[in-house]
Amino acid sequence: MATKIPLIKLEKVTKRYPLADGESYQALNGVSLIVEKGEFVAIMGPSGSGKSTFMHIMGLLDIPSTGKYLLKGKDVKSYTSDELADIRNKDIGFVFQSFNLLSRTTVIKNVERPMMYAGISQEERTKRAMDALRLVQIDNKAENLSNHISGGQIQRVAIARAMVMEPSILLADEPTGNLDTKTSKEIMNHIKDLNKKGTTVILITHEEDIADFAKRIIKIVDGKIVTDRKK
Amino acid sequence: MDYREIVKTSLQVLRRNVMRTSLTMLGIIIGITSVILIVSIGQGAVKFITDELSSFGTDYFQISPGADQFSTLTGSNTLTLDDVEAIKTDPSLTNVNKVIPVSLQAARVTANDEDETVNISGTTTDAPAILRPEILYGEFLSSENNTASEHVAVMGSDASETFFGEDTNPTGERIRINGTPYLVIGVAHFESALAGSVLSNSIFVPINVMFREIQGQERIQEINVSVHNTELINQTIDDIEVLLRDRHDLNEGNENDFRISSAQDILSTVETITSLLTLMIAAISGISLIVGGVGVMNIMLVSVTERTKEIGLLKAIGAKEKDILTQFLIEAVVMTVFGGIIGIILGISGAFVVSSLVGIPFVVSPVAILLAVGVSSLVGIAFGLYPARKAARLSPIDALRYE
Repeated sequence: MATKIPLIKLEKVTKRYPLADGESYQALNGVSLIVEKGEFVAIMGPSGSGKSTFMHIMGLLDIPSTGKYLLKGKDVKSYTSDELADIRNKDIGFVFQSFNLLSRTTVIKNVERPMMYAGISQEERTKRAMDALRLVQIDNKAENLSNHISGGQIQRVAIARAMVMEPSILLADEPTGNLDTKTSKEIMNHIKDLNKKGTTVILITHEEDIADFAKRIIKIVDGKIVTDRKK
Repeated sequence: MDYREIVKTSLQVLRRNVMRTSLTMLGIIIGITSVILIVSIGQGAVKFITDELSSFGTDYFQISPGADQFSTLTGSNTLTLDDVEAIKTDPSLTNVNKVIPVSLQAARVTANDEDETVNISGTTTDAPAILRPEILYGEFLSSENNTASEHVAVMGSDASETFFGEDTNPTGERIRINGTPYLVIGVAHFESALAGSVLSNSIFVPINVMFREIQGQERIQEINVSVHNTELINQTIDDIEVLLRDRHDLNEGNENDFRISSAQDILSTVETITSLLTLMIAAISGISLIVGGVGVMNIMLVSVTERTKEIGLLKAIGAKEKDILTQFLIEAVVMTVFGGIIGIILGISGAFVVSSLVGIPFVVSPVAILLAVGVSSLVGIAFGLYPARKAARLSPIDALRYE
């Protein structure tokens, strides 16, 4: 019987940061986790619990100090930094809490950027960017400068940009952290829609009601998984 | 990689900080401006001299009496009409075309109730071959005028105006030089910007009459020799030097008691001075460009630090090291090339103003412009490389976390 290769598999992953005084800080302390394709996972924990580090490692922005991270069955340590950039470009979409967009750049140019790095033609970039913006209902702001739109609009543009390369994984780090309840709900519904279409979503949050959108909730305390609950 | 998009983005970034960008470009602007300015003016000066010399022709050279300029000026009298005749008739000097002796002396001229001191030039019928006058009235001196020692005069156009007024034909009139009457047989005008006004203010008389009546002795200030073939001019100069040394009984070890200078000599002197000057200014501009380049590097380093988070974001969405490197490098190059273009515009405008003030031709050197563009982009690449590499090598997580 052929075993199914999980999308994300972490084995005893640790992450240790050196501190200025020569000490070091243990952000992750032996985390093991499997995420299958199409899951909607919320990772919860108080600030300083290591949940952001967790996301950075899963998003190939950072590498584990020890342990193994297999993405689609392949150890990420075998990739060069350019190969990692290529995987981030094509397979992973990011939505951060803040500083999501290039300032003083139009909304559409922001959404086009990942496609530029992928070498997609200008014509195709514009078309796909507009499609993505339409999906999050912000196509009417395409030519606005990113610093001239509201926080909720920024997050919608960020989602459009994250999805424009049709990645298999969406990583969202406190995507509603700066938004009011109503706008937060709208953003979460957009993310939920993407998951319904098959995108694997990993959501970092410390808010229960946001985590409730997910089908699986993992709680982290002091760099360790304390609960892993599927609905 | 979409370079057009990156250049557009770079222009946007630079526009955000207009003041900072302009100040950074200043060093480049000054460097390029001075190079373009000096090269243009230098080439204008060379063109001026070349035009000037070709208005007389480059097919002649000049023999002056005395071993050096000082002895020429103090009245050294080592050249004779026999020397002139020898050069004319030597069968081995086949390249010699015309040989024109000139004797100069200021004298008191009266005519038409005017009384002025005028330069008198004693010469022969061949003088127009080199001086290239425009004969306004009458004719130039003939060989009969000389052989018969006739008291005739050809007036320069300005001299004619002084005595007889504008647009008046004075041929047939009489003038007095040092009291002796002369018949005016022609008026000649000289175009040359350098010597034109001196020549047009002179009066030309047969050289024999000049010696007898005005100098009181045989005294030649210069012998002009024109040649058939300009390419052989140096050989002809050498041959004439040998001939004159022999005629003047100069032994080995004795210096020449005459000097030979050709239009080519003057031109090459001017070219040497100009290229030396250009080299000097280029060196100074080089320093300005280096200082400008360091300024660019400094600002690019500041920019990389300021935009660390942006670099992190770009890396998160898939920018490779090469992408970031290219973006920052293009920003630096856009800045220096832009400075270079401003420098070119300022340099050309400056050269235009200077050349019209000084009265030399306005020359724009395409080579200098290409060089300026090349050098300014090179400065951008050289000084932008380090900051761009620094940006490209940032780890995505360190960049994203940067506060």
